[in-house]
Amino acid sequence: MPVSDISYRKRFLTKDNVYLPHLVMIEKIIDETPDTRTFHFNFKDKGLREEFPFKSGQFGEYSIFGIGEAPFCISSSPTRYDRLEFTVRRVGSLTNALHRLSVGAEIGFRGPYGNGFPLDLLEDKNLVFVAGGIGLAPLRSLIWNVIDNRDKYKNIDIIYGVRSPADLCFKYDLKNWDKDKSINMVTTVDKGDKTWKGRVGFVPQVLEEVAPSADNAVAIACGPPIMIRFTFPVLAKLGFTPEQMITTLEKRMKCGIGKCGRCNIGNLYVCRDGPVFTYAQIKDFISDEY
Amino acid sequence: MNQKISKKDISKLLDELGKEFKVFSPSRESGVTTFAEWDGRDSSFLEWYRNTVISPKAQLQPLYEKMFSFHKDKEGYHLELPPPTDKKLIFGIRPCDAKALTIIDKTFQDTYQDPYYLDKRKNTLLVGLGCTNPYDSCFCTSLGLSPTQSSDVDLMLTDIGDEFLIEAVTDRGIKLIKKTSYLKEATKTDEAKAEEARRQASSKVTRRLDTEDLAKRLLSSFDDQDFWEKVSNKCISCGICTLLCPTCYCFDISDELVKKEGSRFRSGDSCAFPVYTKMPMENPRLEKWRRVRQKVCHKYEFYPMSFEVIACSGCGRCIRLCPVNWDITQILASLPVKVKA
Amino acid sequence: MTNREAEQRLRDEAKSLLESAKVDYIVGFADGSLKFHTTPLITRNKDDVDHLVINPFMASNLAKFLTELEGRVGIVAKGCDSRSIVSLVQDNKVSREKVVIVGIPCRGMINLSKIEQLAGKESDEIDDITRQGDKVVVKLDGSEKEIPVKEVLFDHCLACELPTPKEYDLLIDEPIPATPDEEASQAKINKLEELSHHERWRFWQNEFSRCIRCYACRNVCPACYCQRCFVEEAEPQWILSIPKWQDNLIFQIIRNIHLAGRCTDCGECERACPVNIPLRSLSKEMYDLVGELFRFKSGMEIDAAPLLTHYELEEAEDFFR
Repeated sequence: MPVSDISYRKRFLTKDNVYLPHLVMIEKIIDETPDTRTFHFNFKDKGLREEFPFKSGQFGEYSIFGIGEAPFCISSSPTRYDRLEFTVRRVGSLTNALHRLSVGAEIGFRGPYGNGFPLDLLEDKNLVFVAGGIGLAPLRSLIWNVIDNRDKYKNIDIIYGVRSPADLCFKYDLKNWDKDKSINMVTTVDKGDKTWKGRVGFVPQVLEEVAPSADNAVAIACGPPIMIRFTFPVLAKLGFTPEQMITTLEKRMKCGIGKCGRCNIGNLYVCRDGPVFTYAQIKDFISDEY
Repeated sequence: MNQKISKKDISKLLDELGKEFKVFSPSRESGVTTFAEWDGRDSSFLEWYRNTVISPKAQLQPLYEKMFSFHKDKEGYHLELPPPTDKKLIFGIRPCDAKALTIIDKTFQDTYQDPYYLDKRKNTLLVGLGCTNPYDSCFCTSLGLSPTQSSDVDLMLTDIGDEFLIEAVTDRGIKLIKKTSYLKEATKTDEAKAEEARRQASSKVTRRLDTEDLAKRLLSSFDDQDFWEKVSNKCISCGICTLLCPTCYCFDISDELVKKEGSRFRSGDSCAFPVYTKMPMENPRLEKWRRVRQKVCHKYEFYPMSFEVIACSGCGRCIRLCPVNWDITQILASLPVKVKA
Repeated sequence: MTNREAEQRLRDEAKSLLESAKVDYIVGFADGSLKFHTTPLITRNKDDVDHLVINPFMASNLAKFLTELEGRVGIVAKGCDSRSIVSLVQDNKVSREKVVIVGIPCRGMINLSKIEQLAGKESDEIDDITRQGDKVVVKLDGSEKEIPVKEVLFDHCLACELPTPKEYDLLIDEPIPATPDEEASQAKINKLEELSHHERWRFWQNEFSRCIRCYACRNVCPACYCQRCFVEEAEPQWILSIPKWQDNLIFQIIRNIHLAGRCTDCGECERACPVNIPLRSLSKEMYDLVGELFRFKSGMEIDAAPLLTHYELEEAEDFFR
């Protein structure tokens, strides 16, 4: 996937300093699960609100001044300009600090970075979205993007799995997608509870059972590395070629723009040449350190 | 026509340059050699200077630098950028260190412009000084460099005994010569002395590194875990080689908060540290051999793939300063020679 | 035994240890790629042991590698190294049965920086350095210079209380008795103690402004074996990752506190520092304090308990105020 045209982003940069964040304000907070929150935010500078150009699958670097900066994907769709969203799971000092924010809080935002999903390669194709846990966040941006341009795409299958019913994210979206007759929505949990009446099973297993056709199809999978490692072989079994499988990779990042060095896989930077890669590209990686 | 200057006039020259630039020259404190601001001190570096422990890259990418500061008031946060940098002049930079700057330029200019480094780079003049006494750990010649000549500086000086021969390399260098006193025209004898000095210095660089097909050889050995475990077993995963290397540039970004105000800093980081790639749930380079492999392959294989230049200028600091005498030239020489078809 | 004979005996012993499968690894010193340097040799291959050497430049503390290697290790140990090994055994980090200590009685290691200062040349310009009894002969530019050995040994070697390992499985050469010269060893530190508090603070502020946070001091230390060092903690964050002098100083102070009772004054921290920060001035201060308060010297008795995990009713409590 070529590094996308960044000239439009360059226009967007503040004061010619790529490291200086924009100020954004938290407008809404949604508790997805006990340790995951979605934040709706928007630029303090109203002039930037209308202009912000990004693609599904791109990420931003969010700062809490005084604590630090971390990358999170933009989980809202670029077709919905009224809000920008990102979803955070509590794992460390910065994410804990993010969870302590209230509506109206000011944080920093740098972006959009990364290559984003290749929408042109998905046009006129059947799309199979496979998501695990919080991996639904980057896919969600793409799914809404696709739905908002529905006639450009063919069938949509969404297979979403989490550890337990309490870990389901974006429940409001799952409801909408379930209602949508043009979408085949399959939700599963690794382990059910007393109230769960839906499917039980790991995502790769359920994918194999649902068995979407590989004919004129593209599969986009996001989730924990272990899930991805088992999903690709299943897709291959179903007839998907490596070019038909797309995923996002996650690595520790700081600058987000291919300078600080730490997110490299061989000569590629996940922040600059990814995070979206096809399995064909991944197979060609020099290093397996991702 | 080249110029020359007597070594006795160097102090006066640096004082004069100091009127227009912040001049940095080799200096020694507590036995540690670095480039420090010239403030009329004695020019004894002319006697002991071979190459510094802290490379002049630190003038362009300091150990730590403020990226911006922030404070909060009732209107919210305010971010302030640091003041613009002064014009600097680095006097006495060696060809390997000057080449190193052109190597890391490529990263800081790629796709996004790094304002902090490029701003300083634009405002820094380089007065190169050819080596007379290379270390036994130097191997610049193996990387296509000369210890005595450089196209990466603005002016190039060659030691011809009691004087330095001065050659202008760039337009900035020519302009600088026009403004400078204490210079005389060099004679044919001076030029001949310079040739001889260069020949002698170059012959002293004896350490060799075979760079033929190096990237290919590394690629074909990439998955040879036994090889990498063997060559990495005595590495102690400190950051000396990377933090002092003039072609290393990896950095960390962190915030400092004091009550309600603070700053965001960037500071040196190293791929040798285990936490460099650590994520909450996993660390792709937990094992030491992976980190050693990353450092070697990044410099000699990945960087050339992206930028067509090896990220090494043969300065030898990594060999001289490593506490366990881990030697990159030995490691690369011991690579299994097979090349993938 | 001459150095040559001792080297040969060492190589033979190491080879037989590997051949008889008594150990999986041999850890020792080999010639470095730079003059007057040695480098650690860690090998499973019995042919590699022919590279083992014994010379006055074996400064590294090889006990460092015991916490990384899996399997049984035959380790070459000078007196100070053996103290570190004993300390690791006491901490339960290394199992005594898994280590074969090959003791090398040591007459002190030569500090190259001291030679460079006295000779006025850097080590790659010096032709030869040989120890002859209590003198060191430095050959350069065709002439020879004799220097009393006490002027060029490491400071910590001058204070050495255990030149010959007490705990060992084999000893390569005749034992050497201890002849510590505390005065000479402390010379640099005593100069610091003569300064006022204010001057000392300024001294350390200046020294730690050079620190680049390479963590070589921590990584060469056998007693620093934590999987996750306190500098890597984010909650709470003890020090910034920015190398400001305040944070650099606090890092070293906390490190010394963590090492109290386990540091054996091997001097590696100061030797490894690329920017010449006199780290031993801090660690020796802690070492002496531990000796004074608890009458304890780390790594001397294999059966002793680690200092800070052990309490005797008879212990002095005069530091409680």
